[in-house]
Amino acid sequence: MSEPVKCPVCGKKAKTGSAIDCARHMFGTGDKPHRAWVEAQGLSFIDLLLEQATTPGNRSYVVLAEIIEKTQERLPE
Amino acid sequence: MKKYSVINTHVHNVDGIAKVTGRAIYTFDVKLPGMLYGKILRSPHPHAKILDIDYGKALDLPGVIGVVTGKDTLGVKQGIWRRYQDLCDEQILPVDKVRYIGEPVAAVAAMTEEIAEQALDLIDVQYEVLPAVYEPLDAIKKEAPEIHEGFERNINVTRHIEWGDVEGAFDEAEYIREDWFKCGGQAHMCMETRAAVSSYTPDGKLTVYHSSQSPYYMRGLLAGVLGLKESSIRVISHYVGGGFGGKFELDGAIFCSAVLSMKLCRPVKIVFTREEDFIATKRRTPMSYYVRTGVKKDGTFCAREAKVFTNGGAYTGMGATALYLTGFFHSFPYRWKGYRYDGYRVYTNTLPSTSMRGFGAPQAMWCSEQQIEWIAADLGLDSIEMRRKNAHYSGYEVPDQASIASCGIDQCFDVVQKWIKEKGKLPENRAIGLSAAGFMSGGIFNWFDSPYSFSSAVVTINYDGTVELHVGAQDIGQGSNTTLAIICAEALGVKIEDIKVHSGDTDHCPADLGAWGSRQTLMAGNAVKMAAEDAKKQLLEVAYAQSGFNIVYDLDIKNRWVHALARPERGYDYAELVKKAIRGKDGQRIVGRGYYTPHRKGMISPAYSYMMQAVEVEIDKDTGKIKLIDSLTAHDCGQPINHLGLIGQLEGAFSMAAGYGYLEYMPYEDGKLMNPNLVDYKVMRATEMPEVPVAEIDTYEPEGPYGAKEAGEGLTNPTAAAIGNAIFHALGVQMKECPIKPEMIVNALNEKEAKEKEGKE
Amino acid sequence: MEKQRLKLKVNGQEHELYINPKTLLVEVIRDHLGLTGTKRGCDTVSCGACTVMIDDMAVKSCAVLAVQAEGRHVRTAEGLEKNGKLAPIQKAFLDQGSYQCGFCTPGMLMSCEALLEENPAPSPEEIREGIEGNICRCTGYNSIVRAMGAVAKGNYREE
Repeated sequence: MSEPVKCPVCGKKAKTGSAIDCARHMFGTGDKPHRAWVEAQGLSFIDLLLEQATTPGNRSYVVLAEIIEKTQERLPE
Repeated sequence: MKKYSVINTHVHNVDGIAKVTGRAIYTFDVKLPGMLYGKILRSPHPHAKILDIDYGKALDLPGVIGVVTGKDTLGVKQGIWRRYQDLCDEQILPVDKVRYIGEPVAAVAAMTEEIAEQALDLIDVQYEVLPAVYEPLDAIKKEAPEIHEGFERNINVTRHIEWGDVEGAFDEAEYIREDWFKCGGQAHMCMETRAAVSSYTPDGKLTVYHSSQSPYYMRGLLAGVLGLKESSIRVISHYVGGGFGGKFELDGAIFCSAVLSMKLCRPVKIVFTREEDFIATKRRTPMSYYVRTGVKKDGTFCAREAKVFTNGGAYTGMGATALYLTGFFHSFPYRWKGYRYDGYRVYTNTLPSTSMRGFGAPQAMWCSEQQIEWIAADLGLDSIEMRRKNAHYSGYEVPDQASIASCGIDQCFDVVQKWIKEKGKLPENRAIGLSAAGFMSGGIFNWFDSPYSFSSAVVTINYDGTVELHVGAQDIGQGSNTTLAIICAEALGVKIEDIKVHSGDTDHCPADLGAWGSRQTLMAGNAVKMAAEDAKKQLLEVAYAQSGFNIVYDLDIKNRWVHALARPERGYDYAELVKKAIRGKDGQRIVGRGYYTPHRKGMISPAYSYMMQAVEVEIDKDTGKIKLIDSLTAHDCGQPINHLGLIGQLEGAFSMAAGYGYLEYMPYEDGKLMNPNLVDYKVMRATEMPEVPVAEIDTYEPEGPYGAKEAGEGLTNPTAAAIGNAIFHALGVQMKECPIKPEMIVNALNEKEAKEKEGKE
Repeated sequence: MEKQRLKLKVNGQEHELYINPKTLLVEVIRDHLGLTGTKRGCDTVSCGACTVMIDDMAVKSCAVLAVQAEGRHVRTAEGLEKNGKLAPIQKAFLDQGSYQCGFCTPGMLMSCEALLEENPAPSPEEIREGIEGNICRCTGYNSIVRAMGAVAKGNYREE
């Protein structure tokens, strides 16, 4: 996919265009609409955040990035 | 290093006479006619709802003039991060509930301090005590009590910094180490405790004397919480008895005195006792760090990952900035192929934590510089050469974060290596510990949401050639009045005695963000240089007009001498030129204006200082007691401006940083500080300070005035780690927690011996 | 408590006061005489910001009742200068930059002056011991030691 990833909540383009950057943006913003979207995907925003803080590695970001990646196919132009 | 007329020469501090003769009036000393004395009633509970406050009996006490509670305020939740409303979470006089032991609940104004104190005992507060949490890892549990509405699991702020392919970089590493660390809090412990005198008058104007690092911030914040226009408020802060990062937010003294004064229309003075200063003014942020670092066997740094929890205490304060800076400076001063930092600031029912000299970097270096030393030891490498291999250099870009325009860290390594070699073999139980560091020269982020330039200055030249320099920059002892006068004198071409500095009064001085984040030499310095050059240009226009020189000749003013650069011996006195210029302007004084705001300077700062410190430490194996014997610091602050000021700031930084390393514990039990006095809270005394020689490294910072960058805060960063590293080299034990207590060393030694015994059996 | 009359000599000047006998010397100096150079930095006789000289001794004035100083000569930082001419230790402080925020400075100067009057040529160790009771949060003390050293060397000897 060469198209830069767009945030499924606010439409903002991720900095380098990667899904991981979009995940970073979601965690960084952390406001009600973004949290609600994450919850709606069947994930717990707060548990992802806490896992990131307490375990080595980047698993939470990777998990969210994968889900964001899937939405890009469905996003309107 | 370039030679200047005034810059980096031996200049007396311009406030010297006032300070050495007892004439300097601090807020602590201010007395106004009709002034009342205020005292604050504080919460004994770490977490409780305020059900009712009955102060009828207090009002009946003869000499009591008035009492205020949260109900007398607008209930505004304020905070210094004005741009982010949800981080503005502190009412100071809370309306609904208290969140830490010592939080103000009511304030009394009376004829004397003694009566005000007695009145506190007559105020009856009904609390509904709530469960409390004191540690971040407890506060994030599902069953933990909610401290602020809307902050799930008490997570106040999160920050994430990442660059490169971190996982890939770890895969490349040939040696990986992970360690857990704990960093304590620290009290600013300014010699002048928090103090304010507020005077509200029937014309709707409020005048406040405040021991402050930023009168401009105080004016803006007060306007927000009191519902007044900024122009109706005047904040005066002439002499300040220390700040160190604790005095640029609204505190209980300024807020309660202002609320009392507005209610009673009388001046009200509130001065914190030393105990109040310990228990009720925000402290350095305690942190717990997990660090995983991957390097190659030859010492090349590959990847680093840090997960950090900071104990935010009850309110945000400046904690959001500390959270970012600790993660950023944890990478300093090295290049990482992959770097990741996840920082979480968590609310707890303890004293709020905020900025303190170093701003999260002393904690970052405690972890980073020790782990780096342990890695070098594990791999059998020279730790200085390992650092050198990976260090920043001029022109380096910290990916997405910062451009390093000037960097003298390599020369720092040379100087320290030479010093260690000359020291030779040390006596038993003594070792040298090292730590490198770097720091910012002011921040680029406008979280205060100021509409004004970050720094401004006005230069006004009088008929006799003397200069009125108006700046918003605040002198809190670091010597900014002197530093800015030096820059003004150099830029204009006059002598230091010609400059009169006006600062510390929002009615007369331009806006300036104030003294924090090591910003004033660079930012206010640039504004002053611009203003002086503006004034000089106006003078030189007159000089050119009457010079008759061919157009190729340039004129300048130096040491009060107007001359052509090519013919310096043919000139005339600057005062003559001033007289002509003022006549030419119909009798108007020459006024030059200057200002500075960093634009497009990365995510953190326009410039960075660098340093490497070596500390020689002697340790008593039996008691665990530490003695600092000697030290050497190689320091790059670009062009030094104020020579006496610089030495003083670097030596002072050492004493505060060493205190963080092994003296200044702040033990809490169930949210209560156990040593809120100067008998039990230990600070460096004259008998404990070693010599702190500084080797200045010659670099030039293009963004700074005359090439200058910060000095005095960066040097608070390395010393704790250097002391830890000395202990490591002397005794072979690794200190994970700071401040280091003697028993920690003894226990570590015992553990080591036990392990070695086990190994032998 | 009944107020009582107190005669106090401060910086060479006789004062007659009418005070509550439990008033501390530092309170009389600051609040009754208006000499605010002397400061207070703690409530536990720990910091030295209130240091004055009583006769030839450096004393923390928060630890002394005003009535205890009757008949003695109390000297504060304001009394170091003579007709606007600074004392050697004050000149040395200016030359060495031995102060930053300046809050501890008046008390520090009095500890220094007391030491110099007792021992005009103290060693660096003796200087550090002499000011051990004065906390300075800003300077790290070394510039103060340098200033004392310069006075001890005779750099500020009157002509």
